[in-house]
Amino acid sequence: MEPDDFTLMEEVRADREGAFETFVERYQRRLYRLAYGYLHNHEDALDAVQETMVRIYTARARYRPRSRPFTWASRILANHCIDQIRYRRARPSDSLETAQEARPGRDLLAAPSDATPETEQARLDQWRLVEDAVARLPETQRAVFTLRHFEEMSLQEIAAARGCALGTVKSSLHRAAAAVRDRLLGSRKAAEEAGS
Amino acid sequence: MGRMGRECRRARDGMPLHYYAVLDERARQALERHLDGCAACARFWDETRRLLGSVAPSLAFPREAEVDWERFALETARRARAAAPGKSRGIFGHAPGLPAALGWAGAAAAVLLAVGLAVVLRRPAPAFPPGTPGAEATGQSARVLQEGLARQGAARYLRDSRSILVNLLQGPVRCRKGGGDLDVALEKERSRDLLRRKNLFEGTLDGLRDRRLATLVAQLEPLLLQVSSLSDCAAAQQIRDLREEIEKRQILLRIDLMTREVARSRFRA
Repeated sequence: MEPDDFTLMEEVRADREGAFETFVERYQRRLYRLAYGYLHNHEDALDAVQETMVRIYTARARYRPRSRPFTWASRILANHCIDQIRYRRARPSDSLETAQEARPGRDLLAAPSDATPETEQARLDQWRLVEDAVARLPETQRAVFTLRHFEEMSLQEIAAARGCALGTVKSSLHRAAAAVRDRLLGSRKAAEEAGS
Repeated sequence: MGRMGRECRRARDGMPLHYYAVLDERARQALERHLDGCAACARFWDETRRLLGSVAPSLAFPREAEVDWERFALETARRARAAAPGKSRGIFGHAPGLPAALGWAGAAAAVLLAVGLAVVLRRPAPAFPPGTPGAEATGQSARVLQEGLARQGAARYLRDSRSILVNLLQGPVRCRKGGGDLDVALEKERSRDLLRRKNLFEGTLDGLRDRRLATLVAQLEPLLLQVSSLSDCAAAQQIRDLREEIEKRQILLRIDLMTREVARSRFRA
């Protein structure tokens, strides 16, 4: 049976063999998505995850179980990403690659290498619609919807992460999903009308 | 709206929770009964499922699926361990959460263990008999893994170094303190940080067999040392000298070519 988050963190602190590998495997994708949200760059997000894990490992003795390990990890990640963003702002000529990637309209850059320009454009268009629909949600609904859809967290996990009742999560998700669906439907109808 | 309209509205209202499979049992049964008898709501339910199903991580994180996460986790853990020795605990230090006395006991045990290991290691290693298929396969896969990790560690090091050098050469701003000098405090700090972090790569760089990559990594160290020893407000002449040296050796171009070469194979699932 997989250890729960706190037990796993205790095992990491105690240097139990394989515990840190399990820790990395458990959180790396969620941290990647968070990092991607900050940095909008695949390679930078991977670097940020590795950097965060290195910091976590070297600082593991300082972890206190007041907060959940993922919350702690995501705070470390956020600090790292904010430093990176500040650095980019201070030095916009960071590198040719990043300069190219930072071009307007390339915020979701880096299409999968096997994607055709058409499929990538379709994905980008669809994402813009979703992003817009999600951005219009009230804060709580937006957070719950994002955690469910992009972090793939269960409703129980969301309730624990946000420190609220399961019923609150359900009702927020219900409203958010209905609003997103209605906006996506509305956008599609508008596009169909414009096309006809 | 009549009775049927109210039922349709109620059914459509319950669809989002039904999508997440958290509708309570009674409501779920009522919704499914309604969908069996109402073609318009059934179509709307299909639409709801399709639209909410399209809001998936692959939409927001298109390259996530390209990463071999298992391998990434192994490399990350390895890097973290390479960064940790001697930092989190000293030779007479102790593991988190253990009393200090145990630290001394641990140190004594370590001495005994070292003596024991020295005796054991003088004997020939048993493992697989040389030439057996098991020995060859294990050795080969370990070498492949080590080489891959080494290349990626080196590429990261090159990329970070390149970023510092590009900034230094293209983007220095006038120093507020001294007239005419260039503010390189940030690059200096990053160089120091990178040289410190070189410990992270050292473990993996041991396995580096690509001579071009190893040469480039070796050539960068004196450059970074030079940057880290500049004063916060460096003289323009110092930066010019540095630029000449970098251009003479075509360092940036070589880093670009090398990192692209490594990136082509990086974390491919």
